[in-house]
Amino acid sequence: MRAEAKTEALTARTAALTASGSGWLGAARRDAVARLAAMGLPTKRDEYWRYTDPASLTAATPEPAALFDAGDEAPAFDGIDAVKLVFVDGMFDPAQSDDPATAGIEITHLSQAEGVDIHWAREVYGVLEARGQIPVQRPLATLNTAYATQGFLIRATAKAAKPVSFIYHHKSTTSDALLHHCIKMEPGSELTILESGPAAARMTSVMEVEVADGARFHHIRAQGRDHARRAATHVFSRIGAGALFKSFTLTANGCLTRNEQIVELVGNDGVAHVAGAAVGDGTFHHDDTVFMTHEGLRCESRQVFKKVLMNGAVGVFQGKILVKPGAQKTDGYQISQSLLLDGDSQFLAKPELEIYADDVKCSHGSTSGAIDDTALFYLQSRGVPKRVAQSLLVLAFLAEAIGEIEDEAIAEDIRLRLEGWLQRHEH
Amino acid sequence: MLNIKNLHVKLEEEDKVILNGVDLAIGAGEVHAIMGPNGSGKSTLSYVLSGREGYTVTEGSATLEGTELLDMEPEERAAAGLFLAFQYPVEIPGVGNMTFLRTAVNAQRKARGEEELSAGDFLKIVRAKAKTLQIDADMLKRPVNVGFSGGEKKRNEILQMAMLEPRMCILDETDSGLDVDAMKLVAEGVNALRSEGRSFLVITHYQRLLDHIQPDFVHIMAAGRIIKSGGPELALEVENNGYADLLAEAE
Amino acid sequence: MDGVELEVRDGVDRETIETVQAMSGKYKHGWETDVEMDYAPKGLSEDIVRLISAKNEEPQWMLDWRLAAYHRWVKMEEPTWAMVSYPKIDYQDQYYYAKPKSMAVKPKSLDEVDPKLLATYAKLGIPLKEQALLAGVEAPEGERKVAVDAVFDSVSLGTTFKKELAKAGVIFCSISEAVREHPELVKKYIGSVVPPTDNFFATLNSAVFSDGSFVYIPPGVKCPMELSTYFRINAENTGQFERTLIVCDRGAYVSYLEGCTAPKRDIPQLHAAVVEIVILEDAEVKYSTVQNWYPGDENGVGGIYNFVTKRADCREARAKVMWTQVETGSAITWKYPSCILRGDDSQGEFYSIAIANNAQQADTGTKMIHLGKRTKSRIVSKGISAGRAQNTYRGLVSMHPRATDSRNYTQCDSLLIGDKCGAHTVPYIEVKNNSSRVEHEATTSKVDEDQLFYCRSRGMDEEEAVALVVNGFCKDVLQALPMEFAMEAQALVAISLEGSVG
Repeated sequence: MRAEAKTEALTARTAALTASGSGWLGAARRDAVARLAAMGLPTKRDEYWRYTDPASLTAATPEPAALFDAGDEAPAFDGIDAVKLVFVDGMFDPAQSDDPATAGIEITHLSQAEGVDIHWAREVYGVLEARGQIPVQRPLATLNTAYATQGFLIRATAKAAKPVSFIYHHKSTTSDALLHHCIKMEPGSELTILESGPAAARMTSVMEVEVADGARFHHIRAQGRDHARRAATHVFSRIGAGALFKSFTLTANGCLTRNEQIVELVGNDGVAHVAGAAVGDGTFHHDDTVFMTHEGLRCESRQVFKKVLMNGAVGVFQGKILVKPGAQKTDGYQISQSLLLDGDSQFLAKPELEIYADDVKCSHGSTSGAIDDTALFYLQSRGVPKRVAQSLLVLAFLAEAIGEIEDEAIAEDIRLRLEGWLQRHEH
Repeated sequence: MLNIKNLHVKLEEEDKVILNGVDLAIGAGEVHAIMGPNGSGKSTLSYVLSGREGYTVTEGSATLEGTELLDMEPEERAAAGLFLAFQYPVEIPGVGNMTFLRTAVNAQRKARGEEELSAGDFLKIVRAKAKTLQIDADMLKRPVNVGFSGGEKKRNEILQMAMLEPRMCILDETDSGLDVDAMKLVAEGVNALRSEGRSFLVITHYQRLLDHIQPDFVHIMAAGRIIKSGGPELALEVENNGYADLLAEAE
Repeated sequence: MDGVELEVRDGVDRETIETVQAMSGKYKHGWETDVEMDYAPKGLSEDIVRLISAKNEEPQWMLDWRLAAYHRWVKMEEPTWAMVSYPKIDYQDQYYYAKPKSMAVKPKSLDEVDPKLLATYAKLGIPLKEQALLAGVEAPEGERKVAVDAVFDSVSLGTTFKKELAKAGVIFCSISEAVREHPELVKKYIGSVVPPTDNFFATLNSAVFSDGSFVYIPPGVKCPMELSTYFRINAENTGQFERTLIVCDRGAYVSYLEGCTAPKRDIPQLHAAVVEIVILEDAEVKYSTVQNWYPGDENGVGGIYNFVTKRADCREARAKVMWTQVETGSAITWKYPSCILRGDDSQGEFYSIAIANNAQQADTGTKMIHLGKRTKSRIVSKGISAGRAQNTYRGLVSMHPRATDSRNYTQCDSLLIGDKCGAHTVPYIEVKNNSSRVEHEATTSKVDEDQLFYCRSRGMDEEEAVALVVNGFCKDVLQALPMEFAMEAQALVAISLEGSVG
């Protein structure tokens, strides 16, 4: 029964899509189509979707999502000097974008990559995604590999002059975006990728990041404030010896967001930090799902996820640290916390450790509760108005996650956006 | 008592030589002090003698009353009468100090083929010895070294020494982290244990501990070797002139 | 004052070391008793269910209840979500009922029981004489009494201190006797905490349970002594399916202990038990288990497959339950003693030590279901993995929207000894109101080399040092056990880890 339902859903979802293309990209897509057929699409009865119903993500067409007017709030990362690449409803718009060549690194749009043999890309596109299917299937990512035609292939061979900023505008209430980026960080290179905007009524995205030995990769993302948008995002990363991978996501609003991070620390002495701050009011279901695999020696991983929820908002965290046999001297840390600002909100968490090596230091913590009344009273007794005091405490709660952003200007941008959100949502 | 001959030691995991031919003979009832600048190999010597992992002996020997120490497991060395007072005593959460002491005492007695102490006798002895070291009942009840102050940890080491009655005691920087009063208390504990059949090796960076524990011999260690030996006056020389002159002289 | 307490506490640890030293073998309860047995035919069918019911001289309603469970079970699938793997169990290749021939005519008292059977318990250190002893350890002051229900394969041999307990109004007997003698109580409460439909193994148990213990503590009564059940599997190829039902009426209190052992056999044996506890207003139950089923050999041959459903229902206000478990045995452990905190201000606690050595696999934890207001729960889990063993903590903390101002604290620590074993933590946390506070912490680390060296430099050998450090790691849980059990548990911790170092 379940298998049939999964296949039926898949047929409906992909009816209007074609896995096109020739050469290596076409082959990779056809391979994904075959893998996807064996999986079908997820249902809420899958353990992996225990706390988030994927129905609206797997439906044949997206629920219409009203456009959002951000008023006078500046776009995210507006003040950051970056190579801006703009997408409208999931389609690249060169007219609004900077010339990719100015980034001083290799940037090729997926549509131009089909014919040419970009040798590094064939070792990344769909490859990291396929590796990330074990032990848990992520069919939405495979669907993306099979059918996405939009996205960039980026290769950094040295320290990039400035960040690459993907900006995703949402202009059609019924848009359904499939975005697929591949990033290859050659040994010793360094690059920051920024992502911002709601993208579409529904977005399904994959980013595959290969971080070679000694390379450094930073990813900071601000998901758009559109209330009705839905998104299923996946970042697959493979981290080499002495390499660094850092990813931070700010989520404010959006009716359904599922952010998956699948990280493999394959070299020795690698570092991977994934963090998220999510704030939601009302119809807001936010799911962070992280799978951190340690294979190399002496690697360090951190997962820091904080959620502030009110008026029936739901926060989900599923995070795992898997330490494979032989991955000695692993240092794994994971914290997931939620602040429930009223009685209607929910926090659902499954923080896991799976450890097959003995000389390791792994810990996780998870808490849920209301704002600390004593702290609130203390601030008020010192003359701070209640609303201000609350905002202060909320920002203090989120600080550890924001602290994972290395670039201070970007961190400040994120902080200001959070402050703005809190001011608008004081209760 | 303790005879160290041409001891060469390197780190197990990297090719770094720490001890470079140490020779030292300690007779029964004698108190020797080893002084030396940081990184001279003093603490390594104490670890190698007590059998800590992570070191490889490449050459030489160390015998306790004629028996080779270096082939033994740490517990066998302890049963043979060797005791190391740690520079940083280890905390063991959940294990009561009393339990620890009794387990250790009886393990050693058993290893030597002696009768184990009865609970009552043990308690009496511990109480008496603890009192002289100003260790209260609460400290005995708490988990081993957990939440102890620096002085409490060191007094606890001396209490273990008093209970285990070793013949060869090594004190590794026992004065570190202690104020004068705490140091006096510890030194008194040690002095009370001095006897004809018991020898001491006091490892220290400063002379001040030796004001309270009078050594018979003083050795200066540098770069993994003993570069000079003498009487108590050598310690005063270090106190007054520092190590620089001695090091230069050895060159 | 201090000295007295010191001596007692210290005595516990001392006992460990002495016991360890006294033991030369590994599993000390691996011998078997040679008695003639009556078996039901091999396999499971409606006829077998009827036969078990008939053997226990049950009323029709009990048989109907069993049959309903059986028909449901046939359609169920064995769960696969736990982190344990084992060859497929052939449910038709087992005996579901085995009873010593000498028990064919029910003995009127324990004095009439076959001396061979009594000797079995004596050898295990379980006193069936009415004296103040348990597990071979002398009780301090000689005052404590423990009543024992001795279950041997499918039947209860008898229960001690029945008369004395009856004076206090306490009912303590085998469940088969309770079905006959106290049908109104059994009918009212059986299946009310773990319904026959609950899960594959509980449903199986509901169909074929042969014996087990029944306890009823009347309102306001503090049970005058600790109650215990000692389970022994002896017959080969036979599953043990016991069912325990404890009802603690308003304002009452009872502490209940459970122990289990089995002979060494090359063929795994199935054990699927159900324990149900009903706790009414202001009542309190403490339930302690030392599970020492045969764990199989170093290569994972043989051992007990232990699939157990245990649940306590704090049905009314201010009810309290405390589960304490020391899980050292079994080849497979699948066990989640749970608390339903239904009454306002009710409390649940779960303290667990799970040790898996050699090829053992343990998947164990708890569920804390907060339904009432201001309910509190606390989970302390210590998992130790050694050899090639896999040890998983699995738990659920659920705060219902109605369970306002509630509180949970969870601490899960894992210790790894050796680089071939695994330690896993799978907690589920579901919070649906904001006035409740939930905190979960978990750590995983290896046994501390500095601590081991420190112990050894004071003269302890390596196994002694490991036993001491591991006992320290488990202290919070050991302290939650009744004294006699704490001693046995400490000794077990050491024995279970034999051969794990070096």
